[in-house]
Amino acid sequence: MSLLEIRDISVRFGGVHALEQVSLNLNPGEILGLIGPNGAGKTTMLRVITGVVKANHGEVKLEGELLNNLPIHVRVRKGMGFAQQIMRPFREMTLVENVALAAGFKHTQYPWLSLFRFERNEALRESRKWLAKVGIEDVADSFPEAVPLGYLKRLEVARALAIRPRMLLLDEPLAGLNQAEASAFADILFELNHQGQTILLIEHNLAEVRRICTRLVVLDNGQKIAEGYPEKVLMQSSVQEAYIGKGNLNAKN
Amino acid sequence: MLYLELFIQGLLQGSIYALIAVGLTIVYGLLRILHVAHAGLYTLGGYFGVLVFNITGSLVLGGLVAMLGVGIFGIIIYRLCYQPILDQPPYVPLIASIGLFIAMEELYRILFGSYGVTYSNPPLQDMMPVGGIYLRQGEWVTILASIVLIGGLAWLSRKTRLGLAWRATVTDAEMAESFGIDPIRVRYLNFFIGSILAGAAGMIVGILNNLVEPTMGSVPSYKALAIIVLGGLGSVRGTLVAALSLGVIESFGTIYLGEVLNRDAIAFVFLILVLMVRPKGMFRGM
Amino acid sequence: MGFEISLLTAMMISIIGSLSLNLITGFCGQVSLGHVAFVGIGAYTASLMTKAAIPFFAALVAGMILAGIFGIIVGLASLRVRHDFLAITTMGVNFVFLGFVRQQEWLGGELGVSSIPDPGLGKLGFLALVFGCVVLVVLLSVQIRRSWMGYVFKAISEDEDTASMLGLDVSQYKLIAFALGTSLAGLAGGLYAHHVRFIYPDSFAFVESITLLAMVVVGGNGSIWGVILASAFLSLLPQWFQFVDDYKLLLYGSLLFAVMRFSPGGLAGFAQLLINHNRKSSKSKVDK
Repeated sequence: MSLLEIRDISVRFGGVHALEQVSLNLNPGEILGLIGPNGAGKTTMLRVITGVVKANHGEVKLEGELLNNLPIHVRVRKGMGFAQQIMRPFREMTLVENVALAAGFKHTQYPWLSLFRFERNEALRESRKWLAKVGIEDVADSFPEAVPLGYLKRLEVARALAIRPRMLLLDEPLAGLNQAEASAFADILFELNHQGQTILLIEHNLAEVRRICTRLVVLDNGQKIAEGYPEKVLMQSSVQEAYIGKGNLNAKN
Repeated sequence: MLYLELFIQGLLQGSIYALIAVGLTIVYGLLRILHVAHAGLYTLGGYFGVLVFNITGSLVLGGLVAMLGVGIFGIIIYRLCYQPILDQPPYVPLIASIGLFIAMEELYRILFGSYGVTYSNPPLQDMMPVGGIYLRQGEWVTILASIVLIGGLAWLSRKTRLGLAWRATVTDAEMAESFGIDPIRVRYLNFFIGSILAGAAGMIVGILNNLVEPTMGSVPSYKALAIIVLGGLGSVRGTLVAALSLGVIESFGTIYLGEVLNRDAIAFVFLILVLMVRPKGMFRGM
Repeated sequence: MGFEISLLTAMMISIIGSLSLNLITGFCGQVSLGHVAFVGIGAYTASLMTKAAIPFFAALVAGMILAGIFGIIVGLASLRVRHDFLAITTMGVNFVFLGFVRQQEWLGGELGVSSIPDPGLGKLGFLALVFGCVVLVVLLSVQIRRSWMGYVFKAISEDEDTASMLGLDVSQYKLIAFALGTSLAGLAGGLYAHHVRFIYPDSFAFVESITLLAMVVVGGNGSIWGVILASAFLSLLPQWFQFVDDYKLLLYGSLLFAVMRFSPGGLAGFAQLLINHNRKSSKSKVDK
């Protein structure tokens, strides 16, 4: 059974179809790459999964449980770890405190009871482990303003990992990084997956996607145009057309 | 007949609200500041008008000083008070502005006395019938001035190069800058125009009531905030509609709800109700 | 001696008021411009009850509960609106409260409620009670800040969308801040009514909300000791220097403006700035 099941999702903004009847499954243990040119509907899909955007039609299910009407924090607590494309660390907290806030999810589950929970050391210790996992434990005690962009990208992932998610949903984690950084970060994601972490990756960097993803889903103009093994999918002419544009392809032929 | 009278009184009050609130909303539209001290400038307009008139006897001169003088003060306030804190979280300029407004009111009290200043020879008080409607000259002037000033603003923003630069800056300051528009000058202009409207409103209300007192800005200041929020924060058209509707709603509400709520609370009940249904005001994006 | 006791009592009541606002605005980042409405609800409830011969402490608690209930209602509203919209909404709450109270005969209308019964604790006894309440409110504030609740509040005050992405139930936490803050405001109101033994609508005018907010921001939004210090300073200053009384509002206004203009973090922010400055300069030395 797949972990996350998305069925027949349609989203309309005004008269525009942002997504039309898109279905996809995320299976346990895989890195699924969700790719497509700009405006294909990738980010809208992620927002449907987080619940920020309500789908006009269709279902989002986590292990068979319908999520459609649940607020985002409930979805997170059910095991969905989100990392945003634009990094938004809490600037008045150190990196390790940023992660610990997420790692202490047991303490914060019942808001009234959180008034009587003090112990933070365990969450802080654990958070250092998560920072180490993404390779930035050396700046654990720095404030976000003092570290470079690439580190903040990793902080996003560390925070998402800290809730011990059943799946990690990453929105363009490699965007804005140079090739060496992107490659190193992709290695980390690959290693996380190797250790059993299921990952849904929305990404533009096709070279890295091809290298680390086990399966791809391609969106174009709000529709799913291809799905399957990366090598095969990227060879499909419909996918190449979507990326390069029909006119260009014809001109070359 | 009572209804028509209530309606016209409402529109009259509404057009005064509009003069104050439009200035506030263009400031918000450009800089995202809730400029409470705007009402302090409105009061200043009242003082300029009455003082100049009492000395020179000229209403036109009084009006010019009220508008241009207050316009210049508006620029000074922007430069000294807001520009340095624009990058702070929104509550910082808001609270600074409230502090500034309170200090301004107190300064007026200390400078001009707490009982207020009256016109030595009250102008525009005679009744004047137009099309069967009896209003005082001052009230006709109020309606006329609102139409001329706000119409002029619309013309300025739609039909001139200056207006184009201004609207471009509101939409996307960085983009506008890359086209050679100086954002600082646009901000000055913005405060200048907004404050002119406030100064005009202050002078008009001073004439209508034949009284300019230090606290005359208190109620309009907060009510104008309610109006621009209702109007969708930053939308001039929304602000106009909200100001006029509030004037009318208040004038009817005072008759029918007076037992439960006083006039000033009606605006805020209306505001809260609207925000609960539309958290970003009635006219977002118009 | 009686005068000083009375002064001290008034000061401590305003500390309770400002610390209660600090929970909402300082800790949780929800700017409220109408906090004194809840002080008013507590004051009217408690004083009408003691006038109806209900015991003082029961009346005090009832005032807290009623203020808290209204606080939760306003809190629910705060879930719909944000930032500037929230500030204006809470300001509206203050005006609606005033507009309502002024027109109600059973609340005394413009004349308010007078000859509120003496709680019968004696001046010193009452001071002791108020002091006890201050201590409890301070302890609660410290408790919140040290606990996970305070941790979450801090996150919400900075970026509530990101907080919910980390699985935090932002709405619930905000409601808790409103419930706690407004019921403590109700407590301050009950104490205030039985301290001055006469209340009327203008006791809870909008400018009083600004005064409470001034205490919070001058002290440093969120800093417990800064807020206590600023409250004590701002409430005692006009009393000590009678000549200031005439300029009290001018002073408030200018101070509020000056703090926001020159040190937006308040006293505590100013202190933090100095510490950070030292930290940075010592760090840069190490780097070299």
